[in-house]
Amino acid sequence: MMRWKQFLTPVKNMDTEEAKAYIDKNKEGTFTLLDVRQPKEYEKARIPGAKLLPLPELTDRLGELDPERPVIAY
Amino acid sequence: MGGRSRAAAQLLAGKGFNEVYNLKGGIKAWEGLTAFGPAEMGMVLLRGDETSQEIIVLAYGMEDGLAGFYKSLSERMDDSEVAGLLNKLAKIEENHKQRLFELYSTLDPTVTDREAFEGNIVSDMMEGGFTTEEFLEQNRDSMKTVPDVLSIAMMLETQALDLYMRYSEKAKDEKSKTVLYDIAEEEKAHLASLGRLMEEKA
Repeated sequence: MMRWKQFLTPVKNMDTEEAKAYIDKNKEGTFTLLDVRQPKEYEKARIPGAKLLPLPELTDRLGELDPERPVIAY
Repeated sequence: MGGRSRAAAQLLAGKGFNEVYNLKGGIKAWEGLTAFGPAEMGMVLLRGDETSQEIIVLAYGMEDGLAGFYKSLSERMDDSEVAGLLNKLAKIEENHKQRLFELYSTLDPTVTDREAFEGNIVSDMMEGGFTTEEFLEQNRDSMKTVPDVLSIAMMLETQALDLYMRYSEKAKDEKSKTVLYDIAEEEKAHLASLGRLMEEKA
C-alpha cells in the first residue's frame, strides 16, 4: 500500500475573529480577501469585499492579484 | 470549505506572494455555522532542491494516492454523476503513473521493472506518509456531502497542479520538462471539470 507524504507548508491560518479584526484594522485596498470557490457559491453567500477567483482559474489569473498585498483566502 | 482555500494559499505562497492566510473554517465559520475543514495533512513534502528523479518519484506516489483516493470515493458515492467523474479521474491518474514510470526509466535505464520501482524506490520515499484509507478516515467528517468531496478533490488537484508547475519550470532536461508540463495541463483540466461539477452540485 502506497503512502501519502505529509505536507509541511508555510501557510498561516487565520480564524474568523482574527480575520474580522484584521479587516477592521486595515484599510480596504491594502489587502485582498480572496474567494476561491465557484461562482454559484459566491453568489449564494460571500464575505463582503471578497474578490472571486475560482480555484480552477487561479493559476491562469494570478496577474489579477497584487503579490505585495496580504491575501486572506477562503 | 478549508481545503480549497488552503491549497490556494499554498499555491500563492509558492508564487512569491508575501503574506498569505488561509481563513480557517471558510464561509461557514464566518457565518457562525459549524465548519469542518480537512485535517492538516496533504501529500508531498518538498524541500525545493529535489533532483528530477526524486520529483518523478514524489509525483508517482502522489498519483498513486490520488488514484486510490478517487477509486475508493467513487465506490462510496451515491450520486452517479460524481461517481463517474471520480472513476474517470482515477483512470487518468493511473495513466499518469505509467508516464512517470517511463520517464524515470529514461533517466535511469537500470530501472526497468515497474513493480520493483514501486516496491523499492517509491515506497522508500513515501515512508512516514498516510495511506489512502487513513486519509479518508481522518477526513471523514469533512466528506459528508457531494460538495465536500468535490472540495477535497479540488484541493488535491491544486496541490498536484502546483507540484507539476513548479517542477516543470525547474526541470533541467527537456524531456522531463515536457512530461511534467503535460501532466500539469491535465491536472488543470481535472480541476476545471471538478469546478463545473461543483457549480452544479453546490
